[in-house]
Amino acid sequence: MQAPSFRFTGPALLSVTALLTSPAAIFAQAATPSTSSSSGSDRWLHVRVISTESKGETVRVNVPLELAEKVLPAINHDRLHNGKVKFNDSDMNGFDLKIILDALRSSKDGEFVTVQSTENDVRVAKQNGYMLVHVTEKHAPSSKDGKPVERNQVDVKVPMKVVDALFSAGKDELDITAALRALSAHGDTELVTVKSDDNTVRVWLDSKNISD
Amino acid sequence: MILVAKLALGMASTIVLAGVYTFREGVIRVDVDEHREGGSHVHVWVPAAAVPMALHFVPKQNFQRLPKEANDCLPLLQIVTAELRKYPDTTFVDVEDGDEHVKVATVGGKIQIDVVSLEENVHVAVPLSTVNDVVHQLADNAPGI
Repeated sequence: MQAPSFRFTGPALLSVTALLTSPAAIFAQAATPSTSSSSGSDRWLHVRVISTESKGETVRVNVPLELAEKVLPAINHDRLHNGKVKFNDSDMNGFDLKIILDALRSSKDGEFVTVQSTENDVRVAKQNGYMLVHVTEKHAPSSKDGKPVERNQVDVKVPMKVVDALFSAGKDELDITAALRALSAHGDTELVTVKSDDNTVRVWLDSKNISD
Repeated sequence: MILVAKLALGMASTIVLAGVYTFREGVIRVDVDEHREGGSHVHVWVPAAAVPMALHFVPKQNFQRLPKEANDCLPLLQIVTAELRKYPDTTFVDVEDGDEHVKVATVGGKIQIDVVSLEENVHVAVPLSTVNDVVHQLADNAPGI
């Protein structure tokens, strides 16, 4: 009389297995971290804005560069098409960006533009393969000595290879996708820092998917 | 007696297997809680696999009425949902403004959007694979995509 019990064993085992695995299947996604793995070579662009105003707004954005590279060509809106932004001469106020860039590329490291006024200090330089832009905005004097007070500081540090890639498309186009590709080949970099009375903005690149 | 037991076991197995199949992609969770008096409290849990399945039964002509904006977004959504699955759990956007907090993150293969404010709390979690399936179906059936 062994046969009936054997006949039950198969379906019973199947049922037990299914019952045991069903909650696992339902809650697998909630319980376990993503099964996909991110290789250590992924580059992440981070943006952090901290406002010191009363409410203290904080914005944190973390974007994988590879994702941005793939998404950008799919956006066709206004001047952005196929990962490139079109601009015309009127946007440049008569400046020929290509010529300026060629001059910047072929020149040795050094300071190119230094403007010092009562309102702003602007400094553009090339150093160790980076284009550096430093702007200090000054406000009306409030101290006893009558000197203008430094209020806002903007620092931009862009690898020259990224600048080259940005202007690689054509005379009147900025190739954002190529720039992102060039950026992803770069090491950890602090790209933009803005410090003002009200806000601190930081844009940087590293291989971590979380901001510090 | 044995026959009845076998039938019951077979039915139970079928139900369990159907349940496992239905919930294989997890659940879509939508929670909305309005804090005002008489505010809505909506809590919906839907098996994620049911949505693309249900779309098969939607008459094709309805897909052709998609607005142009949706047509523009579909290729983007296809890429984003396919790509996001390659990355570990990440908070992509996190905005805190006083009593308001908005967070867009991926958690365990789901895209999770959390909005917490004094007026209401909204939590939405959708498996990325489901969004991708739905977008693919919409794109396949909508003209000009």
